[in-house]
Amino acid sequence: MRKKRLLLTILSVFLIVAFFTGCACMQSKPTEKNFKAPVVTLDNMEVVHSFGYWYFSKKVKPTKGSPDNVGAPLDLAFTFNVENPNKFPVMLENLKFSVAFEDFDLNTVSTDAAQFIPPGKTNQVRVHAHFDVRQSLLSLLVTGGFKLKEKGTNAWAALEKWWTGIPKYEIPIHVKGGAAVFQAGGVVKVAQFNATFP
Amino acid sequence: MQFKNRWSKILLIGLIAGISIGMSSMAIAADTIKIGSLNDMTGATSDVGKDYALGIAEAIHYINDTGGINGKKIKLYQFDYGYRIPEALTKYSLFKRMKCAAILGWGTGDTEALAPTVAKDKIPYVSASYSGHLCDTTKTPYNLFFAPDYSTQVRGLMTVWFEKKWKQNKDFGKRKPRIAACYMFASPFSSSSIKAYKDQAKVLGFDVGPDQDVSLFAIDTKSQVLALKEFKPDVVLHTNTVMSVAATLRDSYALKLGADNIIKCWGFDENLPKLAGKAADGALGCSPWAFFGLDVPLMKEVTKYAKKYNPGIPPEKRTIHTVQAWASVLGLAEALKRADKAGDLSGEGILKKGFETFKDVDIGLGIAPVTYTPTDHRPQSEAKVYEWTGDKFVLFGSADMKKKWPEKWEKEWLGW
Repeated sequence: MRKKRLLLTILSVFLIVAFFTGCACMQSKPTEKNFKAPVVTLDNMEVVHSFGYWYFSKKVKPTKGSPDNVGAPLDLAFTFNVENPNKFPVMLENLKFSVAFEDFDLNTVSTDAAQFIPPGKTNQVRVHAHFDVRQSLLSLLVTGGFKLKEKGTNAWAALEKWWTGIPKYEIPIHVKGGAAVFQAGGVVKVAQFNATFP
Repeated sequence: MQFKNRWSKILLIGLIAGISIGMSSMAIAADTIKIGSLNDMTGATSDVGKDYALGIAEAIHYINDTGGINGKKIKLYQFDYGYRIPEALTKYSLFKRMKCAAILGWGTGDTEALAPTVAKDKIPYVSASYSGHLCDTTKTPYNLFFAPDYSTQVRGLMTVWFEKKWKQNKDFGKRKPRIAACYMFASPFSSSSIKAYKDQAKVLGFDVGPDQDVSLFAIDTKSQVLALKEFKPDVVLHTNTVMSVAATLRDSYALKLGADNIIKCWGFDENLPKLAGKAADGALGCSPWAFFGLDVPLMKEVTKYAKKYNPGIPPEKRTIHTVQAWASVLGLAEALKRADKAGDLSGEGILKKGFETFKDVDIGLGIAPVTYTPTDHRPQSEAKVYEWTGDKFVLFGSADMKKKWPEKWEKEWLGW
């Protein structure tokens, strides 16, 4: 009797596993041909933290801690909709993009936090991009000198404009060269995206 | 009792299933090699750092797609540190915590700050800083890179110019050639090869003019160029990055300085002619790797993976820094394969049974053969020099410092 019960339990577990495996197998198999690249669109850009506009050189003695060249941070979060048009689930492996303030690329951010997107569904991905005045200043000074001069401005003026205007959503933020890597059944697809907000 | 017995059997089945699942995930973990990558995509070197970072990720995809490390996949953890040293230290601690087998580092700042730590922790650190003093294994045993060090680059540039340009000059044999250098005095990166430059000037018999302090941020260098005009150099050495080199070339052209220009690797990429225009014509630069898209072994894969994984970035915007990143990854992968074959993927194993077994290893991409020994981490003795001419980069010449000056190479030049 006990043996029979045990046998029944094992059989039930086996049947449940077989049922779910069967369901999974009934979904269409991804191939290079039928795997459509999911569609990535920018849903929203949020100024998560803004601390105003300021910069201290290391010549300035701080109230506490050690002096350094430091500037105001700016934390932006980008929320993307990722729509899976396929009849099978796909895994988002990586998503990356550059962020530009006006004509100046200032950051390239990415996320490797993998997630599955069910067939025909849309997931959301939120990626933070951190900026600070010091780091953006160096980036502008080393690379953007000629371009700033052509525009009749300079690095400090540009930074002040961005750090005061972006928290008010007055300055368009560009998402450039976006690429999201998807995988399903060993097949890889890459989706491109670009956007401007607001 | 019967109830207890039944549940203990179910528990047993569950336990067996759990162990099986656990073992399979352990097998997955054992088949993965974790690699950390520190990149600058936001800071002072992001103009070149971004392309390098993209190249790292693309090259890792290539390695994984072509069999991985003897069947083991690489899992890449890639982080931006914005060229901020404190953040590089933080990220390093994370890599260590995640048990990364090796690290792909970036610039002089993070590489030098981390050199004592990686030596203590025995974690191989493959950087894109090519400073000569990272080659002395008594000081920095776990630092490696895939390019001639900056000093070898500068010695090579001067030698190639001397042999191929100066020997054609009407004044050759009548007087010494005159050389001067433009660089940011306060920058450890820019000034790292100046001692070698002055030494090589003695070796080749140059007259050395006054050094010119050119900021890495400079867009106007007229005062420095006017000062150079008094010295009348035949050739000017540039060891800054692209924008300030372009500014100096533009002002030299406008003020008719009339000297040739020789440029270290970080000042000589696809953006130089875009920024300097006609003033870049005839410029010579040390480029250890082929430029993006040139016809050399493996370049087709480089361009294919760039297109596949970053389709939104047009090929004309990709640069030599992608190729440079591939060289670092391919070199690291070769070391990992050798260490894995020897059954030792510890940091020490990767160094001793991997990198330090390299003898004239050809990793493709137009780079010179690579050799590491336990006492010498100068990977290459040959400096390849390209010329920007007719709107393209053309291989102009090369100089093998070890072959030309074997005794100096062996006894004098290591570590600076």
